[in-house]
Amino acid sequence: MEPLEIFTVETTEPSEAAAYESILKDIISELAFSRTIGRIKVRIRPEDSLFMMVILLRRGLPPIKAGEISDTEFDREHAKVVITVRDEKTIPQFLDRLWEQFGRQNVIQPERNIIEVASDLETVDKFIAELIVDDPEKTIRERLADMAIRATPEGFRIRYHSLDSGKFVFVASEDTMQQDWIDEANVMLKELEGDDS
Amino acid sequence: MAAVLEPYIYEGGIHKHSLILELLEDLGGYLVQKTSASTEVTLVMLIPKKDVHLVEDLCKKLLGKLTSAPLTGTEVAVVSPTLASHHLPHSACDIAEYLRRGGANTNMIGLARGMGRRVALSADYERRLINEHDVAVFSFGTFKDCIINKKPKLFEGIEIPIVVTGGPNIRTEEISGADIYVGGIGRIAHRMRKGSELDAMDVLNEKVGEIVNLKRENIAKDPLAVLPARLMKEVQEQVPDILNVLTPAPITLQLDGMRIKLPYDRYHEAVGNIEFDEGFLLSDAANILPSKMKDYILVKIKRRSEVVNI
Repeated sequence: MEPLEIFTVETTEPSEAAAYESILKDIISELAFSRTIGRIKVRIRPEDSLFMMVILLRRGLPPIKAGEISDTEFDREHAKVVITVRDEKTIPQFLDRLWEQFGRQNVIQPERNIIEVASDLETVDKFIAELIVDDPEKTIRERLADMAIRATPEGFRIRYHSLDSGKFVFVASEDTMQQDWIDEANVMLKELEGDDS
Repeated sequence: MAAVLEPYIYEGGIHKHSLILELLEDLGGYLVQKTSASTEVTLVMLIPKKDVHLVEDLCKKLLGKLTSAPLTGTEVAVVSPTLASHHLPHSACDIAEYLRRGGANTNMIGLARGMGRRVALSADYERRLINEHDVAVFSFGTFKDCIINKKPKLFEGIEIPIVVTGGPNIRTEEISGADIYVGGIGRIAHRMRKGSELDAMDVLNEKVGEIVNLKRENIAKDPLAVLPARLMKEVQEQVPDILNVLTPAPITLQLDGMRIKLPYDRYHEAVGNIEFDEGFLLSDAANILPSKMKDYILVKIKRRSEVVNI
């Protein structure tokens, strides 16, 4: 799927669709989403106070595992484990997790890419083997919610959303949510998937 | 007969700008607002019509720019349904900025519960605050149905002229309660800088100018007991504490009065006791009221027909 290969906005008054498309484009570019979204379709019926949005996400990045971006060795002289981190971008999250586990006083960072932990090698290795430092999918999920709230007309505070394996369905209104609308949004999603489903 | 005053904005270097102020004083004009930013200065002035060319010549000499500012001396409320990111900073702030370029003083007012369709409403306090201004500009969104059918309930209780902006092209008559509608300025998520957007803003300034002129003509039929600009000068001379106020416009002129940004409790008597050469006090010629904005003083000048002994 190419980035933004389908971008459709439908409104009751066709001339208003272009204006709303421009708002969505601004929001997408502001949240740096253009490479993440594959297809998007929005339907707005102001007379029903209804806003529907379905999005197909492109395949995201895999989670970053601590074991894959670092090496550990034991410094016998000072009785501590020295972790050398190869992926500099993830160091803040890495440190956070180590502090959480071993306590702030036991984890220090003497150099940019070196972290020292006052513990034994086996414990640290075991912890690092299971540690996921950063999950790009999770941040995408958070930003997707942010995008949906920004894109919806402000008064539409009754919301339904679902995200299932890269398929995002969002319905918002200022009135009580109706099952018909959710069903309609799911039909929109099917249409958007087209041949790929 | 008082001289006819024309509003202008001077933009130029701060060097020797006091020459303009001296000339303005000699000619009997008024300085409405002075804003200096590092080496630049912006002067909003009222210049006697027949002497404009003198000021123009001096401005040219100082390599500054003098432009006509038809909205000078007006206070405009730019009202957006809420203060959320859906409405601000674009387009409501862009509208306010553009109106300020025309010389107006603008106040942004975000309603507490103005969003949505069925649920939109305004509070009594908000309506009274809006009514303190000369003109209210309501900045609405993209959908015709909302602007025509749902949003006009926000105009209830607004007694000043109402200008509505929105995305679609609608005739003013379709929106009940609106005095003028300007299209092409709907909900937008970027700074307005495209040609069509700026054109729409020009139209907005023009239309607000028309409404202001109508109001001015209306006032001219039964003129004010004292010109707001003259009163401003008297306030500066007789209530010197105003010179210590740090807001950008300590005295904000309105078509029929002004907002003085001093606490009402401590200063309303001093303001009421302002004396004029003709021998009357301001309290005889104006209503001095507590403003809904902070604890400021709102002065609404009476008409000549209301004050018999002046």
